Amino acid sequence: MSNGFLFYADGNEYVTQACLSAMSIKTKNDVSISIITKNKILPKYQGLFDNILEPLWLEHDDSRYSILNRWKLYHNTPYDKTIVLDTDTLVLQNLNLWWKFFENYNLFFLNKVFTYRSTIVTDNYYRKLFETNHLPNLYSGMHYFLKSQKSKDFFALVELISKNWEMFYGQFCKEYYPKYPSMDVSFSIASKILDNDVEITNNIVNFVKFVHMKKNIQNWKNVTGEWHDKVGTYLSPNLDFYVGNYLQTGIFHYASKNFLLDNIFKKYEKFLGI
Amino acid sequence: MSKGILLYARNNSKIDYTKQAYFLAKRVKNILGLPTSIVTDSELYLKTQFPDCEKVFDKIIPIVWSENSNIDGTILSKFENHFYKLYRDGTISKQKLAFKNQLRSSAYDVTPYNETLLLDTDIVLSNTNFLHCFEQKNNFQIYHESFDLAGFRDYSEFKYINDIGIKFYWATIVFFRKTEENKIFFDLLKHIQDNWNHYKSVFQINQSYFRNDHAFSIAIHIMNGYTEGDFASSLPGKLYYTTDKDICWDIDKNKITFLLEKENYVGEYTLASWNDVTIHVMNKFSLNRCIDKELKNV
Repeated sequence: MSNGFLFYADGNEYVTQACLSAMSIKTKNDVSISIITKNKILPKYQGLFDNILEPLWLEHDDSRYSILNRWKLYHNTPYDKTIVLDTDTLVLQNLNLWWKFFENYNLFFLNKVFTYRSTIVTDNYYRKLFETNHLPNLYSGMHYFLKSQKSKDFFALVELISKNWEMFYGQFCKEYYPKYPSMDVSFSIASKILDNDVEITNNIVNFVKFVHMKKNIQNWKNVTGEWHDKVGTYLSPNLDFYVGNYLQTGIFHYASKNFLLDNIFKKYEKFLGI
Repeated sequence: MSKGILLYARNNSKIDYTKQAYFLAKRVKNILGLPTSIVTDSELYLKTQFPDCEKVFDKIIPIVWSENSNIDGTILSKFENHFYKLYRDGTISKQKLAFKNQLRSSAYDVTPYNETLLLDTDIVLSNTNFLHCFEQKNNFQIYHESFDLAGFRDYSEFKYINDIGIKFYWATIVFFRKTEENKIFFDLLKHIQDNWNHYKSVFQINQSYFRNDHAFSIAIHIMNGYTEGDFASSLPGKLYYTTDKDICWDIDKNKITFLLEKENYVGEYTLASWNDVTIHVMNKFSLNRCIDKELKNV
C-alpha cells in the first residue's frame, strides 16, 4: 500500500508555500510527496515532489471558489493512503507514529487544534458557525484518507455539497452563513449527514498536534496586526522552530500569507542542499 | 532525610521581613512541626529584636558579603544593585522601596535540609497542606495556578509572564529535594539571574525590576525543553493570595481577616475572613501591623 503527502496549490503563492512545506517534510520524514497544481514550480524545487500532477479537471478558476475543486483530491491522489496538507504549514517532526495511528481510520479529521503554547484552542472566535449550527468541529488543514468504499462514499457526498454549496450551506448553516465556500464547513456537513464524526475524529489523543496560528485563538488579550508581528519566531540551524520561546512540534499552520521569510527558506534549502 | 523550611528575609527601609519570618517560623513549628532556617543580612537586628530567635529558628544563615566563597553562607556582591518597586498599602497609599530579592537562586546551596520548602515570609500559614509535598515523589513542586481572594481582578499576569509569553510560576512557595536535576535547575536559575538583561529581552519581560517568579518560570520552561513538560509539578492545595491593594486586618490563630479592594470604588473595601486557609499576603505593611498585634498578644 502506497502512502504519501498531498498538496493542492492553486496559484503561485500557494505553490511557494507548498515548496516550503515539502522541504519541512523532507527534513524529518522519508515519505513520498505529491503536488497537484496547474502552476509552474521552480526547477530547484521540483525534486521535492515525487509527483507533480495536473488537476483532474477544473470547474472553478476564481480563487475564492477554487476550494470547490478540493473534493477531487480523493480521485487525484496517487496514493492508497494520503495525508492532505494545507500549503501554509510546516511539518516539524517525524510523523511515522501518525501514519500508524491513521491505520485505524478510513478518514481522519482534526476536531481540535493547538495554540503555539501547546494548549488546546477553546476560543470559538472562528468556529461560531460550527457551534451555533451544531456541526461537527472539523478542521481540514490536515486530513487523512484511505482509498476505500467508506472514504469514496464520503467524498461523493462532499462532491455533491461542493457542487451545491449554497443550497447545503443554506440548510445546515442558517446562522453565520459563510460568504464563500469552505472545506471545513463542507466536510462537517458531510459528516453531519452521515453521522460519522465519531468514526473520523478522535477526542482523546493529543499527539496529533496541529498548531493553528490564527491570531484570535492564541489566548492573547491584545490582538492587533499579524501574529508574527506580535510574537517572535526563530528557526535554529538544525531546524528546530520556536514561537514565543516555545519549541513547536507536529504540524504548524502559520495561516498568514505574510509570514514566509527569506531566512526560513534559506535555512531549509541549506539543510537540504537545494 | 532532613526536612525543613527555608526563608529569606532582607529588610528595606520600611518593611521588616525578619519580623514576618519570625512570625512564620513560629507558625510553621506549631502547625507543621518542622524546623525553619532563615537566610538574612540582619542577623544582629534579628537577635536584638527577637531574643528567642535561636529557639524559633533551626539555623540562622548569614549573608556573607564576599565574592569569593559561599561555603559558610550566601555570597552577595558588595556591588549589589537593589531594584526598587512600588509597595502599596491598600488602594490609596503607595511608596517605592528597595526590593532585595536577588538571593533565592542560592537556596539549593544554602539549605541545610535534604527536602526543603522555600517560603516567602509573607505567607500566613494556617493549615497542614504543605506536609503533603514531603510525601510526594515529585522532586520539584511549585504553583502555577493561583486564586485571587478579591475575585474580580485581572490575573492574566499570573497565568503567563506576559500576554504572549511562557507559563507563569510562583517562586513564592517552592519545594525541592537535593537531586542532580534540581542542582542543574538552581545553577540555571543563577545563570538566568546573572544574565537577566539578556533573558528579559528574549522573553519580552517589560518589568523594570528582577522578579524571582519570572526567573523561575524561564528556568522551568528551559528545563522542560522549551515546551510543556513535567519538570515541575504542582504543590498540594491551592495558592490563595491577596494583593497589596487589599489590607490584612487581623490574624487570630487560623482565622485571617482582610479588607478586600472593592471593584470600581477606590478606597472602599469588603470585609472578608477565612479560616484554616494559607494565604500569600502581598500587602506587607498591613501584614506587619497584624503581626505586631499578634506578637503583643502572645
